Amino acid sequence: MIRWDWIVDHLDDLLPRASQHLYLAAIAIVAGFIISFALAIVSIRRRRLYPPIIALSGILYTIPSLALFAALVPITGLSVLTAEVPLIIYTILIFVRNIVAGFDSVAADVLEAADGMGYRGLTRLWRVEVPLALPLIVAGVRLATVSTIGLVAVTGILGDRFGGLGFFMFEGYRRSFATEIFAGALSSVLLAVAVDVVLVTVQRRLTPWTRPPRLEQVQAAA
Amino acid sequence: MNLVTETATWLTDPRHWQGSGAIPVRLLEHVELSVVSLLIAAAIAVPLGLWIGHTGRGATLAVNLANLGRALPSLAVIGLIVPITAAIDPQLGFKVYPTVIGMVILAAPPLLVNTYVGISGVDRELVEAGRAMGLRERQVLGQVEIPVAVPVIGTGFRSAAVQIVATATLGAIFGGGGLGRFLVEGIAQNNDGMVFGGVVLIAGLALLTELLFTLAQRPLTSPGLRAGGGAESAVAARADEISPA
Amino acid sequence: MSDQPRRAAATVEFRHVTKRYDARAKGTPGAVNDLSLTVPAGKICVLVGPSGCGKTTSLKMVNRLIEPTSGQILIDGQDAAKRDLTDLRRSIGYVIQQVGLFPHQTIGENVGTVPRLLGWPKQRIRERSDELLGLVGLDPGRYRGRYPSQLSGGERQRVGVARALAADPPIMLMDEPFGAVDPIVRERLQNEFLRLQEELAKTILFVTHDIDEAIKMGDLVAVMQVGGVLAQFGSPAEILASPASEFVARFVGADRGLKRLSLSRVGDLVPDQVVTVSVGEEARVARDRAKADDFPYVLLVDGDRKPVGWVGDDRLPEAGTVGEELAIPMSPLLNRRTTLKDALSLLLDADVQVGIVVDRRGAVQGVVTVDTIAERMRETAGSSEFSRELVEVEA
Repeated sequence: MIRWDWIVDHLDDLLPRASQHLYLAAIAIVAGFIISFALAIVSIRRRRLYPPIIALSGILYTIPSLALFAALVPITGLSVLTAEVPLIIYTILIFVRNIVAGFDSVAADVLEAADGMGYRGLTRLWRVEVPLALPLIVAGVRLATVSTIGLVAVTGILGDRFGGLGFFMFEGYRRSFATEIFAGALSSVLLAVAVDVVLVTVQRRLTPWTRPPRLEQVQAAA
Repeated sequence: MNLVTETATWLTDPRHWQGSGAIPVRLLEHVELSVVSLLIAAAIAVPLGLWIGHTGRGATLAVNLANLGRALPSLAVIGLIVPITAAIDPQLGFKVYPTVIGMVILAAPPLLVNTYVGISGVDRELVEAGRAMGLRERQVLGQVEIPVAVPVIGTGFRSAAVQIVATATLGAIFGGGGLGRFLVEGIAQNNDGMVFGGVVLIAGLALLTELLFTLAQRPLTSPGLRAGGGAESAVAARADEISPA
Repeated sequence: MSDQPRRAAATVEFRHVTKRYDARAKGTPGAVNDLSLTVPAGKICVLVGPSGCGKTTSLKMVNRLIEPTSGQILIDGQDAAKRDLTDLRRSIGYVIQQVGLFPHQTIGENVGTVPRLLGWPKQRIRERSDELLGLVGLDPGRYRGRYPSQLSGGERQRVGVARALAADPPIMLMDEPFGAVDPIVRERLQNEFLRLQEELAKTILFVTHDIDEAIKMGDLVAVMQVGGVLAQFGSPAEILASPASEFVARFVGADRGLKRLSLSRVGDLVPDQVVTVSVGEEARVARDRAKADDFPYVLLVDGDRKPVGWVGDDRLPEAGTVGEELAIPMSPLLNRRTTLKDALSLLLDADVQVGIVVDRRGAVQGVVTVDTIAERMRETAGSSEFSRELVEVEA
């Protein structure tokens, strides 16, 4: 069924793909975060813009990833852009919601006290709001990262140069070789789990005052 | 706008509406896969969710499992199952079984969580009032808890359905049927019209599914809950923590 | 009322009932300790006490939402623990503070819950539901099809009572049923419920933390203290007149004398006579009558003997007729049903010594003075010492 010996033999091939995987994911996450942060700030300052932004990202989120990647092929060909743009779009919904929620969670009376003590504008943002919004923001980063790592595998549809560890799933199918498919799948899952663990640790370090996620954060999916 | 005309041409070409690889065929395959998976996922998740919600036992385990399920990358899940099912059936083991099983695995958690949260979210005083009036446990579940939890459970179905329709497209990567085939073949053949036509069809189906389930929920929800006042016990949040397929 | 013979109300007896959550500790809040009392059929027994005295726990042991650790609860002599749980609960009406109406069902469906469980035919359920809605003061035509979220708190509470009465249970359990509404609505609900009980005569166990409500609603009052101990069991008058312990005296309040006044009504007193003068009567005749009486005022009344106002004796004219313009502002009007507490309150507010008693048509019957009320207080006062034993009640 699964030829473990093949996997052991080809571990060397997995490594460069794994780093490619992380590389593709990282670009999307960083770019996505920056864009989302800007969108979030705008949404907070102009509340009216928030619902349309969320609605638009929501609609895009509903579209299966494969379709979104494929949709860009006629436009940007089989390039990095085609891979990254959808990945970035998928992170935006998660980030924007969590960032806005994070800032919203900073209680009004805390802000008032900060104003009263003389914090202004950017200083207040940096020293008061951001630290307190951090838990939800970090939770968003965690969610988006895990989700993006999962999606990078799908970019394998764009050809050999992409897909990260997902490459093995596509290649394995082309060769009707189940073991290879399995290797690709298992390694991407392990990668996702590993990154998640690292992020959880980072989350705990950065925000020691938060409790473990309660039921409300596991909220009913919509 | 070359792309638009290409797509329109492809979509309206009568040849693409007949034959074995035609649009209606793929559409039907897609819907069939989705329906079967949804039913299986519901058969597993809903009774479990009802039991956990009603008795309160196993909640933490369910929540942790659900969290885990949410983090799983869709394609990888399918990929993990392939070698197992391929050994059973070299044909369907690539094309059908892994996708169906994968969809069930990915759709069950939201269904489970929503059912559980919906039931446990029903005001405990209401449940006690029901018992005090002489309703047996099963009647309390059926006559009180489930009807009040319908909005939340319905939301769970909606998100599970959308998730399933999305994941079904991935099946095409391993040779399966469904609308995803147009994407895979279109890219391979460099046929922009097919690719984009597939995208349009898939996006349309996904949105249609969302719409369908939203509309279906209304008549199933008691008017007493829609009014908003009595719904204080229904937790109907719109979180977006589904991983895109 | 209903087309079938009413089931006789049942007696409820607590026999050494104890509920302990921790096997060893005594006196834990919420626990009940060796409670023994008997509620005669058709009477309202109020369980009253501070938080944690076990009153709600005791109530819930009757329909076995909570099971006693030891002791028995007998309904019409039968041990409740031996009865089938579902049958038991379907034969007991249960009303709680938050009402607990099913939000997904209409009012009509809510009221018909237990009859539906008992398998009544649809037509009968609907008739009974309408009947009960009317009984609690809600027009069935308007309310039957509505949903709980569309009703106010007071309306919902009425529906809750209707629902509890639907299957005509011999016992009703009520846990702070009027606690969630504002005082004005609460008073109205209390009065209407008492009127309902006059018709239905069910056995009712009523829990409240409000001593005033206990005195108003109860035929019998059981005062409980923290730890689930019965401090005193007796009629409201006995509790007020002779508190069995310092705890009871304190719980009842230092104003128990005044509270006792709410147990008596103006109708219990013999009103004093007052000199009346009709409008348009000859002044000379009026003056003669006024002189014959000590009180320096006469009461001016109209043709229906309704009071118009007071006229000082010295202000009566020498000649001519007595006119309306001579009258000065009236004292408060009291009727036979006014409690003495309310009467005293009205008099004090108006800063007068005298209140005018009128009958249902508004005609003057006599007057009641602050002194008369105070005299009544002294007459009904019990000893100021605590009685040594709990007062026994005859079933």
